[in-house]
Amino acid sequence: MDKVDGTEHYNFKQAADLATLQVIIIDTNPIAWQLLKQSSGLSFPDALSQILIFANAHLAFSQANRAAVIANHIDGAHFLSPVPPGSDTADPDEANMTPEQQKETSQRNASKYRVFRLFEDEVRASYRRLIKSTTAETVDAIPNGSALSGALGLALTYINRICFGGTGGRSSGVPGDEKSKVNSAGGKVDDTGRTMHAKILIVSVTPDPANQYISVMNGVFAAQKLTVPIDVCKLRESTVFLQQAADATGGVYMEPEHPKGLLQYLMMGFLPDHLARSSLILPTRVDVDFRAACFCHKKVLDIGFVCSICLSIFCEPPDGAVCSTCDTKLDVSMLENIGKPVVALPKKKKKKKVTDSLPESGVASAADSPAPTEG
Amino acid sequence: MSAQTMKGFEQLEGLPEAVFKRLYQQPATALAIFRRMLPNLAKTFVMAMLFNPDPVPISNLEHWVHPDKNSLKEEAFAKLRQLYLVTEKQGTFALDPTFKNELRKALTGGGLPGSFGLPCDTDDKNKVDVAFLDKYATEQWESILHFMVGNEIPSFKRPSEGVVRLLLHGKLMEQSRMSSDPVITQVGFSFLLQEANSQVWTLLLLYLDMAEQVKEMNTNLWKLDLIIIICASQLRMDPVDILHFLFLLGSLELGQDYDMKNLTPTQKGMLEDLRDYGVVYQRKVCNAFEFLTRWISLITLKSSSRRFYPTRLATALTSEIRSIRSPAASLQNATSQGDGNGFLIIETNYRLYAYTSSPLQIAVLNIFAKLISRFPNLVTARITRDSIRQAISKGITAEQIIDYMTVNAHPQLRKNSPVLPPTVVDQIRLWQIEGERMKTTPGYLFKEFSTTSEFNAVCRYANDLGVLVWADHNKGNLFVSKHEQIADYIRKRAHAGR
Repeated sequence: MDKVDGTEHYNFKQAADLATLQVIIIDTNPIAWQLLKQSSGLSFPDALSQILIFANAHLAFSQANRAAVIANHIDGAHFLSPVPPGSDTADPDEANMTPEQQKETSQRNASKYRVFRLFEDEVRASYRRLIKSTTAETVDAIPNGSALSGALGLALTYINRICFGGTGGRSSGVPGDEKSKVNSAGGKVDDTGRTMHAKILIVSVTPDPANQYISVMNGVFAAQKLTVPIDVCKLRESTVFLQQAADATGGVYMEPEHPKGLLQYLMMGFLPDHLARSSLILPTRVDVDFRAACFCHKKVLDIGFVCSICLSIFCEPPDGAVCSTCDTKLDVSMLENIGKPVVALPKKKKKKKVTDSLPESGVASAADSPAPTEG
Repeated sequence: MSAQTMKGFEQLEGLPEAVFKRLYQQPATALAIFRRMLPNLAKTFVMAMLFNPDPVPISNLEHWVHPDKNSLKEEAFAKLRQLYLVTEKQGTFALDPTFKNELRKALTGGGLPGSFGLPCDTDDKNKVDVAFLDKYATEQWESILHFMVGNEIPSFKRPSEGVVRLLLHGKLMEQSRMSSDPVITQVGFSFLLQEANSQVWTLLLLYLDMAEQVKEMNTNLWKLDLIIIICASQLRMDPVDILHFLFLLGSLELGQDYDMKNLTPTQKGMLEDLRDYGVVYQRKVCNAFEFLTRWISLITLKSSSRRFYPTRLATALTSEIRSIRSPAASLQNATSQGDGNGFLIIETNYRLYAYTSSPLQIAVLNIFAKLISRFPNLVTARITRDSIRQAISKGITAEQIIDYMTVNAHPQLRKNSPVLPPTVVDQIRLWQIEGERMKTTPGYLFKEFSTTSEFNAVCRYANDLGVLVWADHNKGNLFVSKHEQIADYIRKRAHAGR
């Protein structure tokens, strides 16, 4: 009898199966790449090609998938793709090409899927422009330069617009522009109003920019709030911030042992989208380094001082005992006790108090305070 | 709508292994199959294996997946095996070498020139723009649909004989005794309710089917023109060639002209037919002596224009389900029917208002709703039990009707969430269920187990396999859809017990 039940005929649709936006942040610091090449043999052009194949693989997953590439350069963060509207889109190499070379290019183009081709051409051309505009002086001036927080900020704002704004991408001359219109017109939207899922991949070769700790962490928390996982592929120089970023946002953190095989790491570890991630066990770091950088001298600390009001971190008591973030006057007189056996002093005091005046107050307060673990 | 689209691809899944192996020989096809025919997890597995030089142990992949998502994993594995994408050897998976190679080529762009279409290197004297292509595609396609519902509109010309033959072949229309023109069948009605992209696929797969049949039955001359048979047997329409071309079309660029010189004779022949469907545009070669010239041109393998333009119908071919609505929407945008893509308003009282004057859309509405009145730009109708039951008796499902209404919902209605009033949606489903009080499942009954523990063990095993349909624990009976493994299991248990 129970077979004659109408309810089982209802085939409710699965939750909206949204496409994914992959934002890739690549370090383009030439010095760092040179050092990596010397140590492991992976040069930037090789790495870029592999990253582009990775991006193609992402685009191959679904027609609606999109990708963006941001360069984390010495002096700032730049979009490599999509190119910001109104910027110069000419390829500096194209002008010098002979007709034969041009013909060869068009021949080569014919063997590529057009979405991949447009994307690759754009990334490569913007990269050449970026390098052309970089002078040797800038590189020498800040050899470890990195604009991680800027790049992260660009990525998040872009994600916010594409995935939550609903208005689609940039207006003109961008590959995939057509699709963005479609997305806003007839695309699916899930409960939270997002039209696409997003994830960020950071391919990093530079050391942590300690002076950007606060802004980077703010970016990480914003990503956490948008539920955007930040994946980190650290090719050189172990990092504290990015470990925390991956850990906080539920992303993948990997330090490839063999950077030359970058592609396989990318394909295996970083490619799965949100749907696949829900059913896969992903490589994450268990022993995340949670150290923070101080706000005053930007040093990474094991132990430091924390403002009791705003939780700002300092490596030494701030000047004039005023917190530089919230302007609270701090009581530093107790700090002198630090280093001495801390346990002894309060114990003595407490004993005195308890024996002197209110013997049952301690008991009463303990009973009054709500027990969080109850039930 | 997804079910409809997938139906088209299920047809492909049944192809023999040899055909698949040959299909994988083109990067465009490999990419399209990867994109369209694999579930998400299977795609992830393929990508993980793609640049791995060695076969991957199956246990590695199994450990990669969360233990509670086993069913998804099994589905992915099953699909990979079914499409002959992996070969198993001593507990390892290896991607089919051809597929691996071609998909790599697709991703890295290392294929031969022209593997994703060969653009013309000279300028076209009569260059056409995207708007023209959209208009052309819409006109061609709509003329087919209008022809199906029996609307003779002066602005739309009658589709060519090839199209009519195809519709007849697919039983979308049948020759009626009353008039010389064929009339639409029930299959045809449910075809009309599909979306543009699924419709294109349905028709193209029918085309494939017909091409194969033509090859097989040279002696069976009924319904088919002599000339076509001569052409086909000369051309040896190869299904793999046809599919390659269809997948290739899906990866071409809208508004770009392509050179025909890389195409095989089969594909050149196909171009002529695809032009009739509005899938590609090619400058006119046909005239009153269509068949004659076509025949001649095929034999001499020369066509008057050596370039062709894919239309939006073509470039949307390999896009997957979620973006399917887009080509249809953009097509409708391109035509002058109303603004945006929606024209239907459904109220909770089952009244339906359609802002349209298109005879085609009105005809489709008439399939499942009772039309009440008609104004220059508006049709009012009512959804009733009778109208829905009538549609269902024609083989149209409630889902199809609901999907159609959702896709064509007016922008005003689209602001609601859910788009359609739930009462109406539920009621339509209930009306469908009315006729489905019983469900039959062929299978096997196991009874008279010697002990309860044995019964329970078998029951659990059957459940794990997913073949258990029904079990009665009091009587000790269970009903399964497949018996081979169960029988084996019982035999093994009996053996072990002894």
